[in-house]
Amino acid sequence: MVAAVVGCLALADVISLQGLCKRYGDRMVVDDLSLDVRPGTVTGFLGPNGAGKSTTMRLVLGLDHPTAGTALIGGVPYREIRNPLRTVGAMLDARALHPGRSGYAHLMALARSNGIARSRVAEVLEQVGMADAVGKRAGGLSLGMSQRLGIAGALLGDPEVLMFDEPVNGLDLDGVRWVRHLMRSLAEEGRTVFVSSHLMSEMQLTADHLVVIGRGRLIMDAPLAEVIGRDSLTAVVVRTPHAADLSVRLSGAGITVERLGENELAATGATIERVGDLAYEAGIRLHELRTREASLEQAYQELTASSVEYGARESGG
Amino acid sequence: MRTRELGQAVGAEWAKLWSVRSTWWCLAGAVVLMVMSALTLGGATATDMLRDRIGGTGFPASEPVISATSFAQFALVALAMLVITSEYASGGIRSTLQATPIRGRVIAAKALVVGPVMFAAGVLSGAVATGVVYTVLSADLFGGYVALPPAEVALDLLRVGVFFALVSVMTLGVGTAVRSAAGTLTVVFMLLMGLPLMLLMTGVSAAVEVSLRMPLFAGLAFMGSTDNLTGGPMPYGAGEGLLWLLAWTVAAVAAGHVVLRRRDA
Repeated sequence: MVAAVVGCLALADVISLQGLCKRYGDRMVVDDLSLDVRPGTVTGFLGPNGAGKSTTMRLVLGLDHPTAGTALIGGVPYREIRNPLRTVGAMLDARALHPGRSGYAHLMALARSNGIARSRVAEVLEQVGMADAVGKRAGGLSLGMSQRLGIAGALLGDPEVLMFDEPVNGLDLDGVRWVRHLMRSLAEEGRTVFVSSHLMSEMQLTADHLVVIGRGRLIMDAPLAEVIGRDSLTAVVVRTPHAADLSVRLSGAGITVERLGENELAATGATIERVGDLAYEAGIRLHELRTREASLEQAYQELTASSVEYGARESGG
Repeated sequence: MRTRELGQAVGAEWAKLWSVRSTWWCLAGAVVLMVMSALTLGGATATDMLRDRIGGTGFPASEPVISATSFAQFALVALAMLVITSEYASGGIRSTLQATPIRGRVIAAKALVVGPVMFAAGVLSGAVATGVVYTVLSADLFGGYVALPPAEVALDLLRVGVFFALVSVMTLGVGTAVRSAAGTLTVVFMLLMGLPLMLLMTGVSAAVEVSLRMPLFAGLAFMGSTDNLTGGPMPYGAGEGLLWLLAWTVAAVAAGHVVLRRRDA
């Protein structure tokens, strides 16, 4: 695995969780979570609302104290990093700003706190497309603009590790494309990019690697292709005027068949070759034969079906 | 504690303090409160003296200013409180702790900004109030009882500055521990005003003794006020008053530090 090799070379930038637990009252929000986030990739952090994504990020940043386990960045806890904004840039809640302070003043204070050159403030504001709105008070910014300001704050220290909690929230289509491109290019520069989202389709376009959690537990930690390509999710779609006949035939061969329309079937649990051969043997004419890759959305739904938190008590996730 | 990082954190807190309007409103409020209450208190003293036809020396113009601190302090309490509670209200505290994860350094940086700024605010607003009191009360109408002995006035103003600095840092500590603005204001008001006056009113000697060591009277003793509200003399001098003030401040900051370290942000 290429990612693993890169990870070894740049171990210092890895986010590493070991048996991480966080309990609020009698509820385990993060439950024995162990994972490594590797450099040079965009790692998507997925889960339904209340799954513990934001809490996990807060634990990594040392904002919350774990009930058990450790969260390390480059082998050390966040609070031991000197001038941490130069190593880890994070955007958790874009609205978490003093509403009366301008975005520029906010970034200037952040820059000062970590000995970051003042010129970086103008650079990142330019980079996020906010050069025109620098003097505006944070309370008057749209959600999309707040989001951009939050991302600017994360980029300020030119960090090797970046964490974004729901970065495309409130962004328009241009903004979404921009974030997508930004994540990709940050990873291509060799940085570690850890992005949470509830937008599975978005992660499908952005992430190389997925970490899926539900009710605080790790459900899956795998490359994107592996998640989508799982057998049970890939189907063979057949279009034929004799759908009913073929359906009987395929079922007889132990293949699961789903009727998609009058002339259309989806078969799971068989290769495209086998479905084609069975149709040929039965003398059934086919108008179309193709594989349908599951979308991440479907994969995700299947993965988290058992862990969706009904009546979630915490909205942030 | 690494001094370089502390210096950076202080710079950030300084920048944050001056980048919101509430800072200016609170400072302006402090000046107005100082001038108004000093003038009222000084005027009352002067008219009393005039009525009683007391001859001889007058009182220094900075004397009513010291009494005025009991009222004006609340404008600065509001400012010191906002330095921390506004961060909890907006969630900006998470950004602060991301930048400066060492909790002690965050409180130290805030205290090192709030303390000196409030010292300056105390000295300057006190000087303005002293000037106004002197100008107004030296008019014949008030009998010309007011005086302006430079050394005494200078010492009074310095003490007002120190008092404001300590009360503000105390407020910062309480705010860090309590987190909400309403809660902080309640606790600080009880410490600075409510509790000492209630204890005093009980008349029970033990309660009165405690009351006289709370920030209100410790501050007045430190600033050279010789009598307390019961009409009796303060049982201790300026030096002990300063020690009591310091003790309350240290206790409040320590409480804030413990909470900031232990609780999730």
